[in-house]
Amino acid sequence: MPRWTRHHRLMAIVAATWLAAGCAASGPPSATSPIASSGPPSAASPIAATTAAGTDDPGSPPASAPAIAASTTPAGSFDPAQPPPASLAVEGGDPVVGQLGSLTWGDGGSDSPWLPGAPIEVASGERLTVDVAGGPAVATWSARRVAGTARGSAGPVGLGSGPGPAAFDAPPVGVWSVAVTLDFAGELGSATYYWAITVR
Amino acid sequence: MAIGASTLVALHLAVTGASAHGPDPALSAGPFGQNQDLRFRWRSGAEPAPAIKTAIKAAAGAANATRASKAATFTYDAGGSNLIGYGPGATCGVNGLACYTRDVPDGFTMWLREQGHVFDWGTLKWCQSYTTAPNGCYDAETIALDEFGHVEGLGHHVNFNSDSDYEDAVVQTYSRTKPTVGWNAHAFGRCDTATLQVQYDVPLASARYSTCLDLATVLTLSAAPGSIVVGGSTTLTATLKVVDYASYGRIGGNAVSGRTVTLQRRGAGATTWTSVGSMSVGSVTGTYVLTQRPGAATEYRAVFSTPSSEGLNGDTSPTVTVSVSGSSCSAVAAGSTGTVQAPCA
Repeated sequence: MPRWTRHHRLMAIVAATWLAAGCAASGPPSATSPIASSGPPSAASPIAATTAAGTDDPGSPPASAPAIAASTTPAGSFDPAQPPPASLAVEGGDPVVGQLGSLTWGDGGSDSPWLPGAPIEVASGERLTVDVAGGPAVATWSARRVAGTARGSAGPVGLGSGPGPAAFDAPPVGVWSVAVTLDFAGELGSATYYWAITVR
Repeated sequence: MAIGASTLVALHLAVTGASAHGPDPALSAGPFGQNQDLRFRWRSGAEPAPAIKTAIKAAAGAANATRASKAATFTYDAGGSNLIGYGPGATCGVNGLACYTRDVPDGFTMWLREQGHVFDWGTLKWCQSYTTAPNGCYDAETIALDEFGHVEGLGHHVNFNSDSDYEDAVVQTYSRTKPTVGWNAHAFGRCDTATLQVQYDVPLASARYSTCLDLATVLTLSAAPGSIVVGGSTTLTATLKVVDYASYGRIGGNAVSGRTVTLQRRGAGATTWTSVGSMSVGSVTGTYVLTQRPGAATEYRAVFSTPSSEGLNGDTSPTVTVSVSGSSCSAVAAGSTGTVQAPCA
């Protein structure tokens, strides 16, 4: 009897999740490795940071604001080998793909610090929605913010949580690093995405 | 039985979403074997720097020493089948400091990024790479312990929004640097071990349950014999167990020994209970015994009070009545060693 491998399990879960979510998938893509070595679409142009030691948190961040390119989500491009890209947008605005942080996915996972996040500007009071177009359904989500460049060293403040899909009101006027953790249906895994939100 | 993330979160009732605080979620592929020895070696061509090797070995030792369960253990072995690598070959995605894969029940892999790796957000500094660790460095032992936790089957701990409970788990959604609280944790946190206990069981019936758990117990009591003649004795035996809920995984139904169980009595028909004393350890795991010589019909119950040092809830047994024939209140006989004499109720 053929062995029921983790690949088969993952594919079955993905298929079941798509069906449960009513998604029109274009057939189950092939899984490669639990964690792809390629990064999220948002991480476009790495900066060779050379900040001197002594910075608090995390690592030694760049002296200037990180130039993380915003990009849009290619709909229906979900690769089951890794968490889907998640984008944040306000109504009528361009979606910005979040910076992918820690994740557990399939039989693997990765750990990251609190990331600076992909930049996005919104107006005070606007409703922000997280979209994983083409991806699996979000079972539960939670969002938290820290001020500016605190990057998790200061106590975060909750922005909301609940069953998917994820949506929350913009934080107060200011510059925030926002972490959104998505737990995907079917026990596919979870992933945390980051945005640098400037609220005007 | 593997317990899913939602089930583990459900162990701690009255909490939801991001405000949740309870055992770490469990990864869906389930646990390794109980006490399975996972032997690791360095990945050829990607061996860690000496200081990082030391940190990883220390993390393995910390995982073994602080698992508080029958979770798998990690041992360095030059012939081990599980590879741990270090360097630019790490398959940790763009932003990962470290990563893992697990293939239950066969093994695992782990990677740590190299010192000086340039991310979008900064340059990686391992504290172990410095004589005096600078602020902003990551403790390689803590990060490796986090990865070993994932290998065991732990998902990222769901913190309070404020992260005030960050130290309750090493397996965290985001890693901290020196000198932020929790940056150098060298032991699993109580909410890590909670899930390990559910997934793998506690090592002994006398082992303490993590305070991150909130487990119901059931205490029963029996008397043998249930009827005595005046002057005779009866032995009361209490049995303490964790309730056998499916969501409790491997600890459901466990006998619980080494705790304080108190015997109480009252005269038949009375309303006030009087403590007789602590019950002694019985010959069967999870049992507690005390011999009594009631002079008249007496009701007994056993009480296990909720301890503050572990995640068990107390319970009180149903009442057991010992009937006494030829009752005479003056007929209470001297007890043998270890016997608590009960006067006429």
